[in-house]
Amino acid sequence: MKKVTYIEAITQALDEEMARDERVFLIGEDIAVYGGVFKATKGLLDKYGAERVIDSPISEVYIAGGSVGAALVGLRPVPEIQFADFITPSMDMIIQQMAKMRYRTGGQWTCPVTMRVCCGADIAGGLYHSQTNEQWFVSQPGLIVLMPSTPYDAKGLLKSAIRGDDPVIYFEHKRLYRWIKEEIPEDDFTVPIGKAAIRKEGTDLTLVTYGLMYHRSLEAVNSLEEEGISVELIDMRTLLPWDRETIFESVKKTSKVVLVQETSKTCGVMAEVGAAIAEEMFDYLDAPVTRVCGLDVPAVPFAPPMEHFFLPNAEKITRAVKKVLEY
Amino acid sequence: MAATKKGGKSSAQQIGLSEETLLGLYTSLLKTRLLDERFRRLFRQGRFAGTYFSAVGQEATTVGPTYGLRIEDIIAPSHREIGASVTKGVPLVMIAAQVYARSMSLDKGKSHPCHWGYKPLGVITPASTVAGQTIVGTGCAMGFKIQKKDNVVLAFFGEGSTSRGGWHEALNFAGIHKLPIVYICQNNLWAESVTATLQAGIEHFSDRARAYGFPGITIDGNDVVLVHKTAGEAIARARAGEGPTLIECMTYRWYGHSEIDPADYRAQEELDKWKKKDPVPTAEKLLMELGVLTTQKREALADEINQEIDEAIDACEKGKYSEPEEAYNDVYSEQFPVRREEV
Ligand SMILES: Cc1ncc(C[n+]2csc(CCOP(=O)(O)OP(=O)(O)O)c2C)c(N)n1
Ligand SMILES: [Mg+2]
Repeated sequence: MKKVTYIEAITQALDEEMARDERVFLIGEDIAVYGGVFKATKGLLDKYGAERVIDSPISEVYIAGGSVGAALVGLRPVPEIQFADFITPSMDMIIQQMAKMRYRTGGQWTCPVTMRVCCGADIAGGLYHSQTNEQWFVSQPGLIVLMPSTPYDAKGLLKSAIRGDDPVIYFEHKRLYRWIKEEIPEDDFTVPIGKAAIRKEGTDLTLVTYGLMYHRSLEAVNSLEEEGISVELIDMRTLLPWDRETIFESVKKTSKVVLVQETSKTCGVMAEVGAAIAEEMFDYLDAPVTRVCGLDVPAVPFAPPMEHFFLPNAEKITRAVKKVLEY
Repeated sequence: MAATKKGGKSSAQQIGLSEETLLGLYTSLLKTRLLDERFRRLFRQGRFAGTYFSAVGQEATTVGPTYGLRIEDIIAPSHREIGASVTKGVPLVMIAAQVYARSMSLDKGKSHPCHWGYKPLGVITPASTVAGQTIVGTGCAMGFKIQKKDNVVLAFFGEGSTSRGGWHEALNFAGIHKLPIVYICQNNLWAESVTATLQAGIEHFSDRARAYGFPGITIDGNDVVLVHKTAGEAIARARAGEGPTLIECMTYRWYGHSEIDPADYRAQEELDKWKKKDPVPTAEKLLMELGVLTTQKREALADEINQEIDEAIDACEKGKYSEPEEAYNDVYSEQFPVRREEV
């Protein structure tokens, strides 16, 4: 077991999958010679050559659409979108081509593309380098949407994505790249898609979250524990199709729910999770399903005090948990 | 030029194509024409749902480039490429099954009339978003290059589609990497109700290729021999690793954008002028001059094709829709079945 950072785990997954399967190739902006603006692809050009590590022009439509085409002829493309903020030009190709390819062709053609998207706030990135934008993709059946929060999951989920036969939008959180380190096995392993992780068992309340907000929530849950409050902490990991069973089982046990996400509240991932709990678990609930989310404003504002005001944090999460418990 | 049958043979060689190729091109043209006209009639009789995008008048632009391709070569179509499916050899019954949205169609009835796809012969079922398959097709060509295969891609689109940003991103990339792809622009002067002059400030859409560092050429798209030969040279270059070509085929659609469009935005004289340049009789005349075709042979061929069409349509008329629950399938791989609603 060796301690690795979240971004090292991603690089390892790419390296190992490229070594394992020659159909895997990478395409994106600044990913080859420069090794990626965050260095996730560092060293891979030297190892695998320019035909498998492609520096693309600034063409997000093509990065996505070209990957679809390469997948159709039998390759396993792993395109990178440098910032989730700049995924908008790719939307046409993701929504109309990737997500619908299997469906519109009756399963004749499939689209095993794993699109890595560098996302997230709390890095003083301002309006256009802080967005996560997973909310747009979870409303599109046909896509798999992932957002790991630990190095172990980052590596294991990326490997599952690349080996699978479905198109995956894989959100990797920039704030976690070098902050989070953990020991992970040196042998090959994968993490199953579609399974949430119960990070901490608890009895008083269920807290569901993912990505950077898992770490903010953990901070809150640990301090609540010192006060004698037992929270069950669930990390979704897969946002589409999400793990209803694990979450619903926990709700049966605790009857109280807090949902935490980084992005704006309206129509985010937790809007769906919350609605599903209300629809299917109504009889088990003892308090309103409560969300702690980013503000409903157009983007993450730049000035640090405003950025932190936008984002959920341990304090806000703690307050929400207490309010629900007091209901 | 009056030619005897004997002299005709040598003339066929003079134009650089074998008799077999000439007859093959003509057969595909005629098949496409007869099938397309049949679908129009069937739509107006209410035999299938949706609408129908006829390519009558434009057949040479799809038949010419597709004829002679390998099975592994990819067709990246848009919505007016019935000729590409026919010429690549997709069984007529499968072409019709897709129009009728029958369960026997490989898409099981999920796609849309005229969005023909058939994986066994490398025809990508298109999305409706125009230029979509130009971008995806360019990715297929990138894939072939990575795999070091000498297969090629034919990407088809109308002149209107060249106004989209993604179209430019794709051609730009293809130029940088000299991808094995041939771009066929069917300039039929109209995109729905909008004239080509409102799509671009240049006279020839083929000029766009210069910006991406590969050849662009504008040709008579109703001359199937010319289209076939021009595309053939481009395909050979693409296969040899010498990069893409953009071929603009000047042509015209005889009917509305789809069967529900009366096309009252254009002048009758314009239509009349183009009908005189009908690609089917143009080819017929040439083949007869060359002694490759006779009136008798033509009649026999048409009878044979009409019978094939009759059988295909009959099978579809007798065919069934998929069960509605088929809607739940083909969303993900088997690993992720879709939740069924219980209402
Ligand atoms: C992105 C997109 N915008 C609009 C449409 C609606 N639409 C369908 S075909 C068409 C015209 C296409 O013109 P052209 O590319 O010249 O092809 P043609 O129909 O003339 O063969 C339009 C506007 C569409 N399908 N996709
Ligand atoms: Mg047009």
